[in-house]
Amino acid sequence: MCNKLATLFVAGVAALCAQDMPLDPYNSVKINLPADSPLTLIEAKMGESHASARGSAVVLDLNMALTLRNSSASRVRGVTLLVAAQEVTPGGKASVTVPSLDVAPGQNFPVRIDLRLLRPGQTGGGPLVQVNLDGVLFQDLSFYGPNRLDSRRSMTAWEMEAQRDRKYFKAVLATHGPDGLKQAMLESLARQSERPSLDVQVSRGGRAVTSAAVPEHRAQFAFLRFPGAPVEPVDGWAEIAGNEARNPRIDVRNRSSQQVLHVEIGWIVTDRQGTRYMAASLPNAEPKLFLPPGSSGRLLQDTALRFSKNRGEPVPIAGMTGFVSQVEFADGKVWIPNREALAGAQLLGILAPSPEEERLTDLYRKKGPKALVEELGKF
Amino acid sequence: MTHPSQSILALYAGKELGWLAARRAERHVARCSQCRQVVEAFAALHDDLVGFGDVPPLSWSRLAAEMKANIRLGLAAGECVRSESPAPLAWISGMRAAMAGAAMVVLLAAGLVLERSTLPVPPVAADESMVLRATANGVELNQGGQSLSLLHMRAAQRPGGQLDVTYSAGAQGSMRARYVDSDTGNVTINNVYVQ
Repeated sequence: MCNKLATLFVAGVAALCAQDMPLDPYNSVKINLPADSPLTLIEAKMGESHASARGSAVVLDLNMALTLRNSSASRVRGVTLLVAAQEVTPGGKASVTVPSLDVAPGQNFPVRIDLRLLRPGQTGGGPLVQVNLDGVLFQDLSFYGPNRLDSRRSMTAWEMEAQRDRKYFKAVLATHGPDGLKQAMLESLARQSERPSLDVQVSRGGRAVTSAAVPEHRAQFAFLRFPGAPVEPVDGWAEIAGNEARNPRIDVRNRSSQQVLHVEIGWIVTDRQGTRYMAASLPNAEPKLFLPPGSSGRLLQDTALRFSKNRGEPVPIAGMTGFVSQVEFADGKVWIPNREALAGAQLLGILAPSPEEERLTDLYRKKGPKALVEELGKF
Repeated sequence: MTHPSQSILALYAGKELGWLAARRAERHVARCSQCRQVVEAFAALHDDLVGFGDVPPLSWSRLAAEMKANIRLGLAAGECVRSESPAPLAWISGMRAAMAGAAMVVLLAAGLVLERSTLPVPPVAADESMVLRATANGVELNQGGQSLSLLHMRAAQRPGGQLDVTYSAGAQGSMRARYVDSDTGNVTINNVYVQ
Protein backbone atom coordinates (compact mmCIF):
# COMPACT_ATOMS: atom_id res chain seq x y z
CA MET A 1 0.00 0.00 0.00
CA CYS A 2 2.85 2.36 0.89
CA ASN A 3 4.39 1.68 -2.50
CA LYS A 4 1.17 2.55 -4.26
CA LEU A 5 0.81 5.70 -2.21
CA ALA A 6 4.35 6.71 -3.07
CA THR A 7 3.75 6.00 -6.76
CA LEU A 8 0.57 8.06 -6.68
CA PHE A 9 2.48 10.90 -5.07
CA VAL A 10 5.23 10.71 -7.70
CA ALA A 11 2.59 10.57 -10.42
CA GLY A 12 0.92 13.63 -8.96
CA VAL A 13 4.14 15.57 -8.83
CA ALA A 14 5.05 14.49 -12.36
CA ALA A 15 1.63 15.44 -13.67
CA LEU A 16 1.87 18.84 -12.03
CA CYS A 17 5.31 19.29 -13.60
CA ALA A 18 4.22 18.04 -17.07
CA GLN A 19 3.08 21.43 -18.18
CA ASP A 20 3.56 23.08 -21.52
CA MET A 21 6.41 25.54 -21.51
CA PRO A 22 7.05 28.50 -23.78
CA LEU A 23 9.01 27.52 -26.90
CA ASP A 24 10.15 29.75 -29.68
CA PRO A 25 10.48 27.17 -32.48
CA TYR A 26 11.97 29.69 -34.88
CA ASN A 27 14.91 30.24 -32.52
CA SER A 28 15.13 26.55 -31.59
CA VAL A 29 15.80 25.47 -35.17
CA LYS A 30 18.29 26.78 -37.68
CA ILE A 31 17.96 25.75 -41.32
CA ASN A 32 21.13 26.21 -43.34
CA LEU A 33 21.23 26.02 -47.11
CA PRO A 34 24.50 26.91 -48.88
CA ALA A 35 24.57 30.08 -50.95
CA ASP A 36 24.94 28.09 -54.18
CA SER A 37 22.33 25.52 -53.22
CA PRO A 38 20.11 24.23 -56.04
CA LEU A 39 17.26 24.32 -53.52
CA THR A 40 15.70 27.45 -52.02
CA LEU A 41 13.82 27.52 -48.76
CA ILE A 42 10.43 29.03 -49.50
CA GLU A 43 8.72 28.47 -46.18
CA ALA A 44 9.34 26.80 -42.82
CA LYS A 45 6.22 26.27 -40.74
CA MET A 46 6.59 25.14 -37.14
CA GLY A 47 2.85 24.98 -36.46
CA GLU A 48 2.44 22.29 -33.81
CA SER A 49 5.86 22.58 -32.16
CA HIS A 50 5.81 22.77 -28.38
CA ALA A 51 7.83 22.01 -25.25
CA SER A 52 6.71 20.34 -22.05
CA ALA A 53 8.41 19.54 -18.77
CA ARG A 54 8.82 15.97 -17.55
CA GLY A 55 10.30 16.10 -14.09
CA SER A 56 13.62 17.92 -14.41
CA ALA A 57 13.80 17.19 -18.14
CA VAL A 58 12.21 18.97 -21.07
CA VAL A 59 10.51 17.29 -24.03
CA LEU A 60 10.55 19.31 -27.23
CA ASP A 61 8.34 18.34 -30.12
CA LEU A 62 9.44 20.12 -33.27
CA ASN A 63 7.13 19.70 -36.24
CA MET A 64 8.67 21.33 -39.26
CA ALA A 65 6.91 21.63 -42.61
CA LEU A 66 9.46 22.92 -45.09
CA THR A 67 8.67 24.04 -48.60
CA LEU A 68 11.68 23.89 -50.91
CA ARG A 69 12.01 25.06 -54.51
CA ASN A 70 14.11 23.43 -57.19
CA SER A 71 16.18 26.42 -58.33
CA SER A 72 18.37 24.34 -60.63
CA ALA A 73 17.96 23.57 -64.31
CA SER A 74 17.61 19.80 -63.76
CA ARG A 75 14.87 17.62 -62.37
CA VAL A 76 15.44 16.65 -58.74
CA ARG A 77 15.18 12.95 -57.88
CA GLY A 78 16.08 12.98 -54.19
CA VAL A 79 16.99 15.21 -51.26
CA THR A 80 18.70 14.47 -47.95
CA LEU A 81 18.66 16.88 -45.01
CA LEU A 82 21.02 16.35 -42.08
CA VAL A 83 19.45 16.96 -38.67
CA ALA A 84 21.76 17.46 -35.70
CA ALA A 85 21.08 18.26 -32.05
CA GLN A 86 24.62 18.26 -30.67
CA GLU A 87 23.59 19.58 -27.28
CA VAL A 88 21.23 16.63 -26.73
CA THR A 89 22.97 13.70 -28.38
CA PRO A 90 26.55 14.72 -29.17
CA GLY A 91 27.27 11.20 -30.46
CA GLY A 92 24.34 11.01 -32.81
CA LYS A 93 22.72 12.62 -35.78
CA ALA A 94 19.75 12.09 -38.00
CA SER A 95 18.66 12.65 -41.55
CA VAL A 96 15.47 12.90 -43.53
CA THR A 97 15.59 11.73 -47.15
CA VAL A 98 12.88 12.09 -49.74
CA PRO A 99 13.79 9.75 -52.62
CA SER A 100 11.74 8.91 -55.73
CA LEU A 101 10.97 12.56 -56.41
CA ASP A 102 10.37 14.09 -59.81
CA VAL A 103 10.59 17.83 -59.21
CA ALA A 104 10.85 20.02 -62.31
CA PRO A 105 12.98 23.19 -62.33
CA GLY A 106 11.13 26.01 -60.56
CA GLN A 107 8.70 23.64 -58.86
CA ASN A 108 8.09 23.62 -55.09
CA PHE A 109 7.93 20.49 -52.99
CA PRO A 110 7.37 19.73 -49.29
CA VAL A 111 9.66 18.05 -46.77
CA ARG A 112 8.44 17.30 -43.26
CA ILE A 113 10.69 16.81 -40.24
CA ASP A 114 9.06 15.66 -37.02
CA LEU A 115 11.55 15.55 -34.20
CA ARG A 116 11.34 14.90 -30.47
CA LEU A 117 14.13 15.79 -28.06
CA LEU A 118 14.36 14.82 -24.41
CA ARG A 119 17.00 16.87 -22.63
CA PRO A 120 17.80 18.32 -19.20
CA GLY A 121 16.14 21.61 -18.35
CA GLN A 122 19.42 23.45 -18.00
CA THR A 123 21.23 23.91 -21.30
CA GLY A 124 23.17 26.57 -23.12
CA GLY A 125 21.80 29.08 -25.59
CA GLY A 126 21.70 28.91 -29.37
CA PRO A 127 19.54 26.80 -31.68
CA LEU A 128 18.91 23.29 -30.45
CA VAL A 129 18.51 21.75 -33.86
CA GLN A 130 20.48 22.47 -37.00
CA VAL A 131 19.12 21.34 -40.36
CA ASN A 132 21.69 21.25 -43.17
CA LEU A 133 21.47 20.15 -46.76
CA ASP A 134 23.49 16.96 -47.21
CA GLY A 135 22.72 16.31 -50.82
CA VAL A 136 20.53 16.62 -53.87
CA LEU A 137 20.37 13.95 -56.58
CA PHE A 138 19.38 14.95 -60.09
CA GLN A 139 17.78 13.03 -62.94
CA ASP A 140 21.13 12.39 -64.65
CA LEU A 141 22.48 10.99 -61.32
CA SER A 142 24.68 14.04 -60.82
CA PHE A 143 24.88 15.21 -57.23
CA TYR A 144 25.20 18.39 -55.23
CA GLY A 145 26.07 18.66 -51.55
CA PRO A 146 28.67 18.06 -48.84
CA ASN A 147 27.72 14.35 -48.71
CA ARG A 148 28.65 13.95 -45.03
CA LEU A 149 26.19 11.08 -44.67
CA ASP A 150 27.22 9.38 -47.91
CA SER A 151 23.79 10.33 -49.18
CA ARG A 152 25.07 10.37 -52.77
CA ARG A 153 25.49 6.60 -52.71
CA SER A 154 22.24 5.94 -50.85
CA MET A 155 20.15 8.14 -53.12
CA THR A 156 21.85 6.80 -56.26
CA ALA A 157 21.07 3.24 -55.13
CA TRP A 158 17.43 4.15 -54.47
CA GLU A 159 17.21 5.82 -57.87
CA MET A 160 18.70 2.71 -59.51
CA GLU A 161 16.09 0.61 -57.72
CA ALA A 162 13.39 3.04 -58.83
CA GLN A 163 14.50 2.73 -62.47
CA ARG A 164 14.67 -1.08 -62.14
CA ASP A 165 11.19 -1.38 -60.64
CA ARG A 166 9.52 1.13 -62.98
CA LYS A 167 11.03 -0.81 -65.89
CA TYR A 168 9.60 -4.04 -64.48
CA PHE A 169 6.10 -2.65 -63.98
CA LYS A 170 6.15 -0.99 -67.41
CA ALA A 171 7.15 -4.33 -68.93
CA VAL A 172 4.26 -6.03 -67.11
CA LEU A 173 1.90 -3.35 -68.45
CA ALA A 174 3.25 -3.76 -71.98
CA THR A 175 3.07 -7.55 -71.88
CA HIS A 176 -0.06 -8.26 -69.85
CA GLY A 177 -1.98 -4.98 -70.03
CA PRO A 178 -3.72 -3.15 -67.15
CA ASP A 179 -5.02 -6.43 -65.68
CA GLY A 180 -1.49 -7.80 -65.49
CA LEU A 181 -0.29 -4.60 -63.84
CA LYS A 182 -3.15 -4.81 -61.36
CA GLN A 183 -2.16 -8.40 -60.56
CA ALA A 184 1.49 -7.34 -60.06
CA MET A 185 0.38 -4.55 -57.71
CA LEU A 186 -1.77 -6.94 -55.68
CA GLU A 187 1.11 -9.39 -55.42
CA SER A 188 3.41 -6.61 -54.21
CA LEU A 189 0.87 -5.42 -51.63
CA ALA A 190 0.47 -9.01 -50.40
CA ARG A 191 4.24 -9.41 -50.07
CA GLN A 192 4.45 -6.15 -48.12
CA SER A 193 1.76 -7.16 -45.66
CA GLU A 194 3.01 -10.74 -45.24
CA ARG A 195 6.71 -9.92 -44.96
CA PRO A 196 8.01 -11.19 -41.60
CA SER A 197 9.24 -8.24 -39.62
CA LEU A 198 11.75 -8.06 -36.85
CA ASP A 199 12.45 -5.43 -34.20
CA VAL A 200 16.14 -4.66 -34.11
CA GLN A 201 17.98 -2.75 -31.41
CA VAL A 202 21.43 -1.50 -32.30
CA SER A 203 24.11 -0.52 -29.80
CA ARG A 204 27.70 0.34 -30.47
CA GLY A 205 30.70 -0.91 -28.57
CA GLY A 206 29.05 -3.04 -25.92
CA ARG A 207 27.09 -6.12 -25.13
CA ALA A 208 23.47 -5.83 -24.04
CA VAL A 209 22.70 -6.53 -20.40
CA THR A 210 19.76 -8.82 -20.99
CA SER A 211 21.71 -11.52 -22.77
CA ALA A 212 24.92 -11.29 -20.77
CA ALA A 213 24.29 -14.68 -19.15
CA VAL A 214 23.67 -16.52 -22.43
CA PRO A 215 26.69 -18.43 -23.73
CA GLU A 216 28.22 -16.89 -26.82
CA HIS A 217 29.42 -18.77 -29.87
CA ARG A 218 30.77 -17.91 -33.26
CA ALA A 219 28.33 -18.59 -36.10
CA GLN A 220 29.19 -18.70 -39.80
CA PHE A 221 27.27 -16.89 -42.51
CA ALA A 222 25.82 -18.83 -45.42
CA PHE A 223 25.85 -16.82 -48.65
CA LEU A 224 23.56 -16.26 -51.60
CA ARG A 225 25.54 -15.51 -54.74
CA PHE A 226 23.98 -13.61 -57.64
CA PRO A 227 25.20 -14.22 -61.17
CA GLY A 228 26.95 -11.13 -62.48
CA ALA A 229 27.49 -9.56 -59.06
CA PRO A 230 30.72 -7.51 -59.12
CA VAL A 231 31.66 -8.56 -55.57
CA GLU A 232 31.31 -11.99 -54.00
CA PRO A 233 31.18 -12.87 -50.30
CA VAL A 234 33.86 -15.39 -49.37
CA ASP A 235 33.60 -16.02 -45.65
CA GLY A 236 31.90 -14.46 -42.67
CA TRP A 237 30.88 -14.92 -39.07
CA ALA A 238 29.44 -13.14 -36.03
CA GLU A 239 29.36 -13.77 -32.28
CA ILE A 240 25.91 -15.04 -31.33
CA ALA A 241 24.32 -15.19 -27.88
CA GLY A 242 20.61 -16.02 -27.88
CA ASN A 243 18.87 -13.26 -29.80
CA GLU A 244 21.94 -11.07 -30.02
CA ALA A 245 24.61 -10.90 -32.72
CA ARG A 246 27.86 -8.99 -32.25
CA ASN A 247 30.85 -7.94 -34.27
CA PRO A 248 29.90 -9.28 -37.71
CA ARG A 249 32.79 -9.82 -40.12
CA ILE A 250 32.51 -10.69 -43.79
CA ASP A 251 35.34 -11.20 -46.27
CA VAL A 252 34.56 -10.18 -49.85
CA ARG A 253 36.37 -10.33 -53.17
CA ASN A 254 36.12 -7.82 -55.98
CA ARG A 255 35.35 -9.80 -59.17
CA SER A 256 34.91 -6.73 -61.35
CA SER A 257 37.44 -4.82 -63.42
CA GLN A 258 36.87 -1.59 -61.49
CA GLN A 259 37.92 -0.30 -58.11
CA VAL A 260 35.17 -0.75 -55.54
CA LEU A 261 34.55 1.95 -52.93
CA HIS A 262 31.65 0.52 -51.00
CA VAL A 263 30.05 -2.88 -50.44
CA GLU A 264 26.90 -3.56 -48.53
CA ILE A 265 25.79 -7.01 -47.43
CA GLY A 266 22.15 -7.85 -46.75
CA TRP A 267 21.91 -9.81 -43.51
CA ILE A 268 19.13 -12.36 -43.08
CA VAL A 269 18.57 -14.23 -39.83
CA THR A 270 16.61 -17.44 -39.47
CA ASP A 271 14.79 -18.32 -36.26
CA ARG A 272 14.31 -21.82 -34.82
CA GLN A 273 11.04 -22.25 -36.71
CA GLY A 274 12.85 -21.60 -39.99
CA THR A 275 11.32 -18.16 -40.61
CA ARG A 276 13.72 -15.85 -42.43
CA TYR A 277 13.86 -12.15 -41.58
CA MET A 278 15.76 -9.28 -43.13
CA ALA A 279 17.76 -8.24 -40.08
CA ALA A 280 20.14 -5.50 -41.14
CA SER A 281 22.56 -4.29 -43.75
CA LEU A 282 26.28 -4.59 -43.19
CA PRO A 283 28.39 -1.97 -44.95
CA ASN A 284 32.16 -1.48 -44.82
CA ALA A 285 33.35 0.23 -41.66
CA GLU A 286 35.59 2.82 -43.30
CA PRO A 287 33.94 5.60 -45.28
CA LYS A 288 35.47 4.11 -48.44
CA LEU A 289 36.88 0.63 -49.05
CA PHE A 290 39.18 1.18 -52.06
CA LEU A 291 39.14 -2.44 -53.20
CA PRO A 292 41.12 -2.91 -56.44
CA PRO A 293 39.99 -5.45 -59.07
CA GLY A 294 40.64 -9.04 -57.98
CA SER A 295 41.53 -8.16 -54.39
CA SER A 296 39.81 -9.10 -51.14
CA GLY A 297 38.71 -7.01 -48.20
CA ARG A 298 36.82 -7.35 -44.95
CA LEU A 299 33.59 -5.71 -43.81
CA LEU A 300 33.41 -5.50 -40.04
CA GLN A 301 31.41 -3.56 -37.50
CA ASP A 302 31.83 -3.18 -33.75
CA THR A 303 28.14 -3.30 -32.94
CA ALA A 304 25.61 -5.46 -31.15
CA LEU A 305 22.23 -6.16 -32.71
CA ARG A 306 19.41 -7.62 -30.66
CA PHE A 307 16.42 -9.16 -32.43
CA SER A 308 12.88 -9.44 -31.14
CA LYS A 309 9.33 -9.46 -32.42
CA ASN A 310 5.83 -8.87 -31.10
CA ARG A 311 7.02 -6.04 -28.85
CA GLY A 312 9.89 -7.64 -27.06
CA GLU A 313 9.66 -11.42 -27.62
CA PRO A 314 13.30 -12.47 -28.25
CA VAL A 315 14.06 -14.15 -31.57
CA PRO A 316 16.94 -16.59 -30.99
CA ILE A 317 19.20 -16.78 -34.00
CA ALA A 318 19.41 -20.23 -35.57
CA GLY A 319 21.11 -19.25 -38.82
CA MET A 320 22.49 -16.31 -40.78
CA THR A 321 22.60 -15.66 -44.51
CA GLY A 322 24.31 -12.85 -46.36
CA PHE A 323 24.11 -11.52 -49.91
CA VAL A 324 25.67 -8.57 -51.71
CA SER A 325 22.97 -5.91 -51.85
CA GLN A 326 24.93 -2.91 -53.08
CA VAL A 327 28.31 -2.05 -54.64
CA GLU A 328 29.65 1.42 -55.38
CA PHE A 329 32.45 1.84 -57.89
CA ALA A 330 35.16 4.50 -58.02
CA ASP A 331 33.31 6.36 -60.80
CA GLY A 332 30.26 6.82 -58.52
CA LYS A 333 28.14 4.19 -60.29
CA VAL A 334 26.19 1.80 -58.11
CA TRP A 335 25.34 -1.85 -58.69
CA ILE A 336 22.21 -3.40 -57.21
CA PRO A 337 20.75 -6.91 -57.76
CA ASN A 338 18.12 -7.17 -60.48
CA ARG A 339 14.58 -8.40 -59.83
CA GLU A 340 15.23 -11.76 -61.47
CA ALA A 341 18.12 -12.46 -59.09
CA LEU A 342 16.05 -11.45 -56.06
CA ALA A 343 13.09 -13.55 -57.21
CA GLY A 344 15.41 -16.51 -57.97
CA ALA A 345 16.82 -16.37 -54.45
CA GLN A 346 13.31 -16.08 -53.02
CA LEU A 347 14.19 -12.74 -51.47
CA LEU A 348 11.27 -10.68 -52.77
CA GLY A 349 9.11 -11.89 -49.89
CA ILE A 350 11.78 -11.14 -47.29
CA LEU A 351 13.21 -7.81 -48.38
CA ALA A 352 11.30 -4.57 -48.10
CA PRO A 353 10.22 -3.27 -51.50
CA SER A 354 12.17 -0.39 -52.97
CA PRO A 355 10.92 3.10 -52.03
CA GLU A 356 9.63 3.47 -55.60
CA GLU A 357 7.70 0.18 -55.51
CA GLU A 358 6.21 1.27 -52.21
CA ARG A 359 5.23 4.65 -53.69
CA LEU A 360 3.67 3.06 -56.77
CA THR A 361 1.68 0.50 -54.79
CA ASP A 362 0.48 3.28 -52.47
CA LEU A 363 -0.59 5.28 -55.51
CA TYR A 364 -2.42 2.23 -56.91
CA ARG A 365 -4.14 1.60 -53.57
CA LYS A 366 -5.29 5.21 -53.17
CA LYS A 367 -5.99 6.31 -56.74
CA GLY A 368 -6.45 3.15 -58.75
CA PRO A 369 -4.87 1.58 -61.87
CA LYS A 370 -5.50 4.55 -64.18
CA ALA A 371 -3.46 6.92 -62.01
CA LEU A 372 -0.70 4.31 -61.82
CA VAL A 373 -0.55 3.88 -65.59
CA GLU A 374 -0.37 7.68 -65.97
CA GLU A 375 2.42 7.86 -63.39
CA LEU A 376 4.46 5.16 -65.14
CA GLY A 377 3.97 7.03 -68.40
CA LYS A 378 5.81 10.06 -66.98
CA PHE A 379 9.11 8.20 -66.91
CA MET B 1 -15.00 21.31 8.55
CA THR B 2 -11.92 19.12 8.99
CA HIS B 3 -10.66 17.79 5.64
CA PRO B 4 -9.03 14.39 5.32
CA SER B 5 -5.31 14.46 4.59
CA GLN B 6 -3.95 14.19 1.00
CA SER B 7 -2.75 10.68 1.79
CA ILE B 8 -6.23 9.57 2.83
CA LEU B 9 -7.73 11.11 -0.31
CA ALA B 10 -5.08 9.49 -2.54
CA LEU B 11 -5.72 6.10 -0.92
CA TYR B 12 -9.46 6.59 -1.25
CA ALA B 13 -9.06 7.43 -4.96
CA GLY B 14 -7.01 4.28 -5.41
CA LYS B 15 -9.56 2.18 -3.44
CA GLU B 16 -6.84 1.30 -0.96
CA LEU B 17 -8.53 2.41 2.26
CA GLY B 18 -10.05 0.03 4.76
CA TRP B 19 -13.83 -0.30 4.81
CA LEU B 20 -14.48 2.04 7.74
CA ALA B 21 -12.00 4.72 6.61
CA ALA B 22 -13.37 4.50 3.08
CA ARG B 23 -16.94 5.11 4.26
CA ARG B 24 -15.73 8.06 6.33
CA ALA B 25 -13.88 9.53 3.34
CA GLU B 26 -16.83 8.83 1.07
CA ARG B 27 -19.18 10.78 3.34
CA HIS B 28 -16.80 13.71 3.44
CA VAL B 29 -16.15 13.74 -0.29
CA ALA B 30 -19.89 13.67 -1.00
CA ARG B 31 -20.24 16.94 0.90
CA CYS B 32 -16.96 18.69 0.06
CA SER B 33 -16.40 19.76 -3.56
CA GLN B 34 -12.79 20.75 -2.83
CA CYS B 35 -11.83 17.25 -1.70
CA ARG B 36 -13.91 15.72 -4.47
CA GLN B 37 -11.76 17.52 -7.02
CA VAL B 38 -8.60 16.22 -5.35
CA VAL B 39 -9.96 12.66 -5.41
CA GLU B 40 -10.90 12.99 -9.08
CA ALA B 41 -7.41 14.28 -9.88
CA PHE B 42 -5.81 11.32 -8.08
CA ALA B 43 -8.14 8.88 -9.81
CA ALA B 44 -7.23 10.35 -13.20
CA LEU B 45 -3.56 9.88 -12.39
CA HIS B 46 -4.11 6.13 -12.14
CA ASP B 47 -4.37 5.98 -15.93
CA ASP B 48 -1.16 7.92 -16.34
CA LEU B 49 0.82 5.45 -14.25
CA VAL B 50 1.16 3.12 -17.22
CA GLY B 51 3.48 5.61 -18.90
CA PHE B 52 5.86 5.56 -15.98
CA GLY B 53 8.13 3.07 -17.69
CA ASP B 54 9.39 6.20 -19.48
CA VAL B 55 10.84 7.73 -16.32
CA PRO B 56 14.57 8.09 -16.93
CA PRO B 57 16.33 5.20 -15.16
CA LEU B 58 18.28 5.91 -11.98
CA SER B 59 21.79 4.58 -11.85
CA TRP B 60 21.56 2.57 -8.65
CA SER B 61 25.08 1.28 -9.05
CA ARG B 62 26.39 4.81 -9.16
CA LEU B 63 24.19 5.77 -6.18
CA ALA B 64 25.47 2.80 -4.19
CA ALA B 65 29.06 3.68 -5.07
CA GLU B 66 28.49 7.27 -3.93
CA MET B 67 26.92 6.06 -0.68
CA LYS B 68 29.84 3.74 -0.03
CA ALA B 69 32.31 6.53 -0.79
CA ASN B 70 30.49 8.85 1.61
CA ILE B 71 30.51 6.23 4.37
CA ARG B 72 34.21 5.60 3.78
CA LEU B 73 34.85 9.36 3.94
CA GLY B 74 32.79 9.63 7.14
CA LEU B 75 34.69 6.73 8.76
CA ALA B 76 38.03 8.26 7.71
CA ALA B 77 36.98 11.64 9.14
CA GLY B 78 35.88 9.89 12.33
CA GLU B 79 39.26 8.22 12.55
CA CYS B 80 40.98 11.63 12.34
CA VAL B 81 38.81 13.06 15.11
CA ARG B 82 39.15 9.97 17.30
CA SER B 83 42.93 10.04 17.18
CA GLU B 84 42.96 13.53 18.70
CA SER B 85 40.39 12.87 21.45
CA PRO B 86 40.92 10.86 24.63
CA ALA B 87 40.38 7.14 24.16
CA PRO B 88 36.86 6.05 25.20
CA LEU B 89 36.11 3.04 27.31
CA ALA B 90 36.92 -0.12 25.41
CA TRP B 91 33.38 -1.59 25.59
CA ILE B 92 31.83 1.66 24.23
CA SER B 93 34.34 1.64 21.37
CA GLY B 94 33.47 -1.98 20.64
CA MET B 95 29.77 -1.15 20.68
CA ARG B 96 30.31 1.75 18.24
CA ALA B 97 32.25 -0.47 15.88
CA ALA B 98 29.52 -3.07 16.03
CA MET B 99 26.84 -0.46 15.34
CA ALA B 100 28.84 1.01 12.45
CA GLY B 101 29.30 -2.50 11.05
CA ALA B 102 25.59 -3.23 11.41
CA ALA B 103 24.74 0.07 9.71
CA MET B 104 27.05 -0.82 6.84
CA VAL B 105 25.38 -4.22 6.46
CA VAL B 106 21.92 -2.60 6.49
CA LEU B 107 23.02 -0.03 3.90
CA LEU B 108 24.53 -2.63 1.61
CA ALA B 109 21.45 -4.84 1.96
CA ALA B 110 19.20 -1.87 1.17
CA GLY B 111 21.38 -1.08 -1.83
CA LEU B 112 21.10 -4.65 -3.07
CA VAL B 113 17.32 -4.67 -2.58
CA LEU B 114 16.95 -1.36 -4.40
CA GLU B 115 19.24 -2.58 -7.18
CA ARG B 116 16.90 -5.52 -7.78
CA SER B 117 13.60 -3.71 -7.39
CA THR B 118 13.90 -0.80 -9.80
CA LEU B 119 11.05 0.11 -12.11
CA PRO B 120 11.05 -1.86 -15.36
CA VAL B 121 13.09 0.14 -17.84
CA PRO B 122 13.99 -0.56 -21.45
CA PRO B 123 17.20 -2.56 -21.79
CA VAL B 124 20.31 -0.50 -22.28
CA ALA B 125 23.81 -1.40 -23.27
CA ALA B 126 26.06 -2.51 -20.47
CA ASP B 127 28.61 0.24 -20.93
CA GLU B 128 26.00 3.00 -21.18
CA SER B 129 26.79 3.31 -24.89
CA MET B 130 24.25 4.82 -27.24
CA VAL B 131 21.27 2.69 -28.15
CA LEU B 132 19.13 2.99 -31.25
CA ARG B 133 15.71 1.46 -31.37
CA ALA B 134 12.37 1.70 -33.08
CA THR B 135 9.56 2.99 -30.90
CA ALA B 136 5.82 3.05 -31.57
CA ASN B 137 6.03 6.28 -33.53
CA GLY B 138 9.65 6.85 -34.45
CA VAL B 139 13.32 5.94 -34.27
CA GLU B 140 15.00 6.90 -31.02
CA LEU B 141 18.63 7.45 -30.15
CA ASN B 142 19.18 7.34 -26.40
CA GLN B 143 22.39 8.61 -24.86
CA GLY B 144 22.73 8.91 -21.10
CA GLY B 145 19.05 9.53 -20.50
CA GLN B 146 18.77 12.17 -23.22
CA SER B 147 17.21 11.24 -26.49
CA LEU B 148 16.60 12.30 -30.05
CA SER B 149 13.72 10.78 -32.00
CA LEU B 150 12.66 11.20 -35.59
CA LEU B 151 8.92 10.63 -35.71
CA HIS B 152 6.79 9.35 -38.57
CA MET B 153 3.52 10.98 -37.67
CA ARG B 154 2.41 11.30 -41.29
CA ALA B 155 2.67 7.59 -42.07
CA ALA B 156 -0.50 5.99 -43.39
CA GLN B 157 -2.24 3.40 -41.22
CA ARG B 158 -2.59 -0.26 -42.07
CA PRO B 159 -6.07 -1.80 -41.91
CA GLY B 160 -5.40 -2.95 -38.31
CA GLY B 161 -4.61 0.63 -37.24
CA GLN B 162 -0.84 0.09 -37.13
CA LEU B 163 1.36 2.67 -38.85
CA ASP B 164 2.57 1.50 -42.25
CA VAL B 165 6.31 1.90 -41.64
CA THR B 166 9.24 -0.22 -42.81
CA TYR B 167 12.20 -0.30 -40.43
CA SER B 168 15.70 -1.34 -41.36
CA ALA B 169 18.86 -1.45 -39.30
CA GLY B 170 22.42 -0.80 -40.39
CA ALA B 171 25.10 -2.78 -38.58
CA GLN B 172 27.33 0.31 -38.61
CA GLY B 173 24.91 1.87 -36.11
CA SER B 174 21.95 3.32 -37.94
CA MET B 175 18.24 2.74 -38.11
CA ARG B 176 15.82 3.76 -40.81
CA ALA B 177 12.06 4.18 -40.82
CA ARG B 178 10.51 4.45 -44.26
CA TYR B 179 6.93 5.39 -45.01
CA VAL B 180 4.72 7.03 -47.59
CA ASP B 181 3.66 10.46 -46.35
CA SER B 182 -0.13 10.34 -46.22
CA ASP B 183 -0.38 14.05 -47.13
CA THR B 184 2.06 14.29 -50.03
CA GLY B 185 2.33 10.70 -51.30
CA ASN B 186 6.12 11.06 -51.17
CA VAL B 187 8.28 8.36 -49.65
CA THR B 188 10.12 9.70 -46.61
CA ILE B 189 13.11 7.96 -45.03
CA ASN B 190 14.03 8.93 -41.49
CA ASN B 191 17.51 7.77 -40.55
CA VAL B 192 19.16 8.05 -37.13
CA TYR B 193 22.88 7.34 -36.75
CA VAL B 194 25.26 6.60 -33.93
CA GLN B 195 28.62 8.18 -34.69
